[in-house]
Amino acid sequence: MMTLKYLAQVLCLLFIIPLLSACWDQTSIDQRAYVVALGIGKSENENQIQVTFLITNPELSKKEATTNEPSQEIISFAANDVIVARNIANSVIAKEISYNLLSAIVVSEEFAKEDRFLRYMYDLAKEPQIKRNIPIIVTKEKARGFLENNRPLLESRIHKYFDLILNSANEAGLIPKSDLNSYFRITEADADLFLATYGTSEISQDGKDSVEDNFIAGKMDIQGETNQVQLMGSAVFKEGIMIGTLTGEETRIAILLNDILNNMGPIYTTYQDPFNEKYKVTARIQTEKKIDVKMDLKSDQPSINVSIPIYMDIMTQHSMVDYANDSQKRETLQRSIEEEITNKINNLIKKTQEEYKGEPFGWSVLARKQFTTITEYENFDWMKSYPDIKINISVNVSFGNFGEQSILPDFEEVRD
Amino acid sequence: MEEEILKNKTIDSDLENTIDIFKSLYSVPMNTDVSIRNLFIGGLNRNATAISIKTISDSEKIEEQIIRPLLSNSDSDLTIEDICAAQFLNTHSQIQEILKDINNGNTALFLDGENKAYLFDTVKFHGRSVEKAINEVSLRGPKEAFNEDVAANISLIRKKIRNENLVVESVTISKRSNNELYIVYMKDLVNDKLLKDVKDKLNSLDVNAIQNLSVLEEYIEDSSKSIFPTILSTERPDRTVSFLEDGYIALLMNNSPDSLILPATFWSFYHNPEDHYLRFVFGNFIRLLRFLALLITLFVSAFYIAAINYHVEMIPSDLLLAISATREVIPFPAIIEILLMEIAFELIREAGLRVPNPIGPTIGIVGALILGQAAVDANIVSPLVVIIVALSGLCSFAVGDISLNFSIRLIRFLFIFSAALFGFYGITALFTCGIFYLVSFRSFGVPYLAPMTPKYISSKDTIFRKMLKKELYRPGYLKPQDIEKKKDNS
Repeated sequence: MMTLKYLAQVLCLLFIIPLLSACWDQTSIDQRAYVVALGIGKSENENQIQVTFLITNPELSKKEATTNEPSQEIISFAANDVIVARNIANSVIAKEISYNLLSAIVVSEEFAKEDRFLRYMYDLAKEPQIKRNIPIIVTKEKARGFLENNRPLLESRIHKYFDLILNSANEAGLIPKSDLNSYFRITEADADLFLATYGTSEISQDGKDSVEDNFIAGKMDIQGETNQVQLMGSAVFKEGIMIGTLTGEETRIAILLNDILNNMGPIYTTYQDPFNEKYKVTARIQTEKKIDVKMDLKSDQPSINVSIPIYMDIMTQHSMVDYANDSQKRETLQRSIEEEITNKINNLIKKTQEEYKGEPFGWSVLARKQFTTITEYENFDWMKSYPDIKINISVNVSFGNFGEQSILPDFEEVRD
Repeated sequence: MEEEILKNKTIDSDLENTIDIFKSLYSVPMNTDVSIRNLFIGGLNRNATAISIKTISDSEKIEEQIIRPLLSNSDSDLTIEDICAAQFLNTHSQIQEILKDINNGNTALFLDGENKAYLFDTVKFHGRSVEKAINEVSLRGPKEAFNEDVAANISLIRKKIRNENLVVESVTISKRSNNELYIVYMKDLVNDKLLKDVKDKLNSLDVNAIQNLSVLEEYIEDSSKSIFPTILSTERPDRTVSFLEDGYIALLMNNSPDSLILPATFWSFYHNPEDHYLRFVFGNFIRLLRFLALLITLFVSAFYIAAINYHVEMIPSDLLLAISATREVIPFPAIIEILLMEIAFELIREAGLRVPNPIGPTIGIVGALILGQAAVDANIVSPLVVIIVALSGLCSFAVGDISLNFSIRLIRFLFIFSAALFGFYGITALFTCGIFYLVSFRSFGVPYLAPMTPKYISSKDTIFRKMLKKELYRPGYLKPQDIEKKKDNS
């Protein structure tokens, strides 16, 4: 009798287990449509947004029986928020929409500048499938247009394209590292500016006077059969809403000054050659040591002294001046470069203080250390006080190598 | 009943009467391998009869050392023991005792006018000689293995321990077949209470026959229904000896090409003698491999199920898409897919083991080709599942011990089911419960995970081994009489 009762109990327990289990929201891996990029833009309806899904096709990963299906599918529609959009999309898309593979959130500039933008961004924080490390890209045109025009020729697996380009452009310092988490963090701290990647597929012809990296996306003249999309520069967000843009060069400086953002690899850039106005020197910059930020916020005129150590290899110079063997010329070059960099930094700081009235350098975090209590810091009101702070920049350049072959022939002699 | 009474009787001095009794007990002449030789001993002037069983005794020895000396004797002063060259064992008068000796291959000699039988050692059982270990293969170290002859087995042990403290105690454990069991231990090391427990357990057995150690194992285990083994069975004498020298008890039996070691902890199943024969680094490397293999066998299928059903976000993007693409054409959910292949693998393994040798290679071809390649081509399973099942199957062989191997193979299925129901949560929960179980589990009073937890003084030979110079102590959980194995001379 006892064993029968025991058996009955065990059977009941076994029967209950499947009820407890999580099978109810289980979807098989092959029955999901993976959204790689989620576009958010302005809709015609006031209370709605235009949601765009870039859905990848897993068929491409199959080894045998290569398929004729396209590598991706784009669907765009108006919806109340990104969460309900998952269901609406199913009127067209056969599989369950999944954000598991999301690699980028694309926001149109137009929408990002609206007041209501912040409300819709917080939808993303609510959706469990959206991870906090997903990068944000702000586009000049509509998000849908950006995604439709984005046809990388060599990466037909579109998720790979986003992963790779965001990573390498970030290492080159052309775009900031901008993920959802830092957007929320900076917005909530209400002291700094947030920088998001800026990109576009619309190539504009004006303003092409500057050189090298002093552009913003869309201004670069790239020829050839390639993808139209360019990622360069950054969109500046204040209190969660976009207020302006920074060019590629300005973004580089902002990253250089920001210890939190700084994961630049060695970057290549050019400076004016002090001995010949026609030519430039190409340098490889590495920030080896942390920048030193000293703050004095208690006095009547608050000030910040920033000293930036820069380690630099001169790669090439067309003026063919022999810097490697001439210490005096090296010193001239050093002073000239230091001055150039300082000017650029000062220009950016001026821009942030006068135009944006906030800084994207993450200095508010350092400023907190200057106060003994939180109330003191809050009363200081970093965002409001920043424009009036006096900022002194000092750049210290130290040279490493002067190229693989440092000795150059005399130019005149070769001519001869 | 009549026979029972007869057996308890003693023989009388009338030879013919005695022989008649034995003839009826052995059903002679129906029973053909019982040999009864009547002879006349010159010198003593007496009739005598020798009874033995031909098939288990050395007939040449009987002829040369018992019969011939008796027949050719002319001296009237000599006793029987002096005349016969064969080893004299004893004299018995009770019929049952005499029967027992004859049944063991000895020869009984009855003399007319004497109410006792002389017993001579003429045992010769047929069996194989000492051969190489088949199941516990090792590249270095001794190769010889136990065989079915217990005397040879004991000799293999004595060969390695030349010490008077090595005791080989014999106990008869079955009532009808009179199977004899040998308890082997080091007198000056073994814990007396443990020894007494084991002996009590053996004496309390009331069974007709226990053929060999494999059967005995289930009789003496504390928890024979458990999924984990609690007694170690090994066919290697060197392994047995190293356990004996640590204060364990070994059981040996005729007809068993192995020895039972008790008590056994989880680690004794996980270890392999080769770990200590190889150099320190190499030995630990194969320990690491074995540990990885253990984890892979347990978890890889379950991880696959959990990850693709519940935790899609943790799969790398490219792999996720690849799985998604290959699974698109599969008609079954992942759990069915995995179970199909796992069961197929178990079938191949079992069938491959039972199949007669000449057909063996066929099984391999059928297994690998039909079930692997063709199943994928037919869209029954995805290629990744074939890899996963093959990996988990292969890794299960890295755990050498057959019993633990079975445990792991079975537990793997539990993990698969828990992953299918609850994802990683299920795997973690089951693993936690399993650890609870292992920690509370005991083998002859010794905690199963000792000395890792609970902690005891020991050589710390658990997942990895220490340098031999550092293995100073015998396992403390056995409470041996002498805990120190060597002096710390490092």
